[in-house]
Amino acid sequence: MKIVTCFKVVPEEQDIEVTSGGQLSFARAKAAISSYDLNAIEAGAQLAETGEHELVGLSIGNAAIHDSKLKKGALSRGLNSLFMVADEKLNQMDTHQTAVLLKKAIEKMGGADLILCGEGSSDLYAQQVGIQLGALLDMNVVNSVSKITEENGCLLVERTLEEEIEILEVPLPAVLSVTSFINLPRIPGMKNILAAGKKPSTVWSAEDIVPDVPPATISVLEVKAPEQTERLQNIIDGDADEQIREFIEKISAAIQ
Amino acid sequence: MDFGMTEEQELLLESLQELMEREAPEKEVKKWYEQGAVSDSFMKAFLEAGFGFLGIPEEYGGTPADLTTLLMVAEELTRGTAATIPALSNILNMYDMIEFGTPEQIRLSMDLYEKTGKASFSLAISEPQAGSDNSGMTTVAVRKNGKVYLDGCKTFVTHGGVAPYCLVVAKDEVPDRENKNMSMWLFSADLPGVKFAPLHKIGQGTTSFAELYLDHVELEESALVGTPGKGFLQLMKNFEIERLLLCMQTLGLAEAAMDDAAAYAAQRMQFGKAIGEFQMIQQLLTDMEIKIKNMRNMVYEAAWLYDHGKSIRLESALCKRYCGRASTEVCSDAMQIMGGIGYTTEGRISRAWQDARGWEFAGGTEQIMVHIAGRQILKKYAK
Repeated sequence: MKIVTCFKVVPEEQDIEVTSGGQLSFARAKAAISSYDLNAIEAGAQLAETGEHELVGLSIGNAAIHDSKLKKGALSRGLNSLFMVADEKLNQMDTHQTAVLLKKAIEKMGGADLILCGEGSSDLYAQQVGIQLGALLDMNVVNSVSKITEENGCLLVERTLEEEIEILEVPLPAVLSVTSFINLPRIPGMKNILAAGKKPSTVWSAEDIVPDVPPATISVLEVKAPEQTERLQNIIDGDADEQIREFIEKISAAIQ
Repeated sequence: MDFGMTEEQELLLESLQELMEREAPEKEVKKWYEQGAVSDSFMKAFLEAGFGFLGIPEEYGGTPADLTTLLMVAEELTRGTAATIPALSNILNMYDMIEFGTPEQIRLSMDLYEKTGKASFSLAISEPQAGSDNSGMTTVAVRKNGKVYLDGCKTFVTHGGVAPYCLVVAKDEVPDRENKNMSMWLFSADLPGVKFAPLHKIGQGTTSFAELYLDHVELEESALVGTPGKGFLQLMKNFEIERLLLCMQTLGLAEAAMDDAAAYAAQRMQFGKAIGEFQMIQQLLTDMEIKIKNMRNMVYEAAWLYDHGKSIRLESALCKRYCGRASTEVCSDAMQIMGGIGYTTEGRISRAWQDARGWEFAGGTEQIMVHIAGRQILKKYAK
């Protein structure tokens, strides 16, 4: 089975700064693999190791993702090889554009039996790409996946819902979006890191996979950090009736 | 001159940071100091993430790594936790065993190490009458009727009473000062005649420390490690890199103290401004930063020399002479900046300060380093 794990390269959250005008500054933010996609890579690595499958990574983004350290970092987490579509034209793509390009790239890579995505990206968390990609490829799609096991060429997939765990039998090919609690991503050791540099990786430009990048379906007017509000710092200590009454009064006053 | 790291080293340190976030939050580290040992789960996780195999030959499951990389891990681990964690010195002990042990001894030590990441054996060298002056050693191994009998008393035995085996350096046959022949012996810590008495330190509470009494301990000849009579020379083989490793830990402690104190100075308001804006605090910070830079530059230069096959006899002694004291001073100044809070056990600085102080003598005193460096300097500048 050929497994393709898609991952997004995002600015490291802790390095993003809010400027005095409320804008977000990415100037100091290093590029990193979106944290939810680390779970997708780990899920792929675990499946690949138990079933001796091929695990290929795929990422699409602007030219900056074509970064040697970033590639080694991804390859050190259990991938056998890596494909990237890195192009300045692919800056700030919306979910539809991303899904279309992922589809084209996967087709050029020779297709896949199983495609894994993180539930959402750690910057925008739209949770759309996996679903759209499955629709475009006409494959079975399941999101919110919290467990994957392989059984007789079919996948048993668990979804943790509010009050129950749904177990689905998913025939291949399929696209699964995994949650952040499906696993604890491995910590690559020196051996994995050294081996990563020797694994094959292929980098394409946008033209290599599509004649024209599809137009954006949404336009972003502005991205702003929520304004900081001054806290009232009303602290009510205790749980007696009187304190509860005081709490309700203050909350009611604040709501009105 | 290249002060940068390779991508592999950067990734390795990022992995280590990830490991520390998961396994060594401050609450956990505090617990280690209260309990007198780093948790089993951390030692296991450190090993399983591959850090515990750095520099160990591939045939024993290790990953090749130069000294510089090993020291980077030591620095980051100490800086991130503000703690003294014996994980790297455990690796050094394995280097010794792999170099001098018989295949059986290596297998035994590696098997134990692979299971836990903890030290397989305690290291018994110092004696009440023989610290830097190792000729004064009186622990003796006497051969009789095909057996070997060990008698004597060791002190400051790292991992004593905890590690399942002991590695002891003893004089051959006669305990006289003139007798320069010493050998190394590896044996189970629960043999008859082996007794430990714990010692209690004011710092570095994560590593146990004990006196060891050897009362006619009967050994087989197969307990010998390496060449008979060459035990001390074998030990000295890794003394120099051990010194650099200890220096890296002093550097990590100083950096951790700096991290906390400088951030505090930028936030703590007094007289209407952050205390970091006062020149007297800035002077402390500046002198701390100079010491940290000195330590880093000295130790990494020595590591670079070692990795390029050059002698570090002088450099390792200079580093050990400088770093322990410099680290204690940095931690002490950090405590000064933090004031009362720095003196409490709630913060990390008091712990770093106590740990740093121990490195002024552990692994070779600052004074004996003058003795080592002095001779080398005369040689170096001889016309």
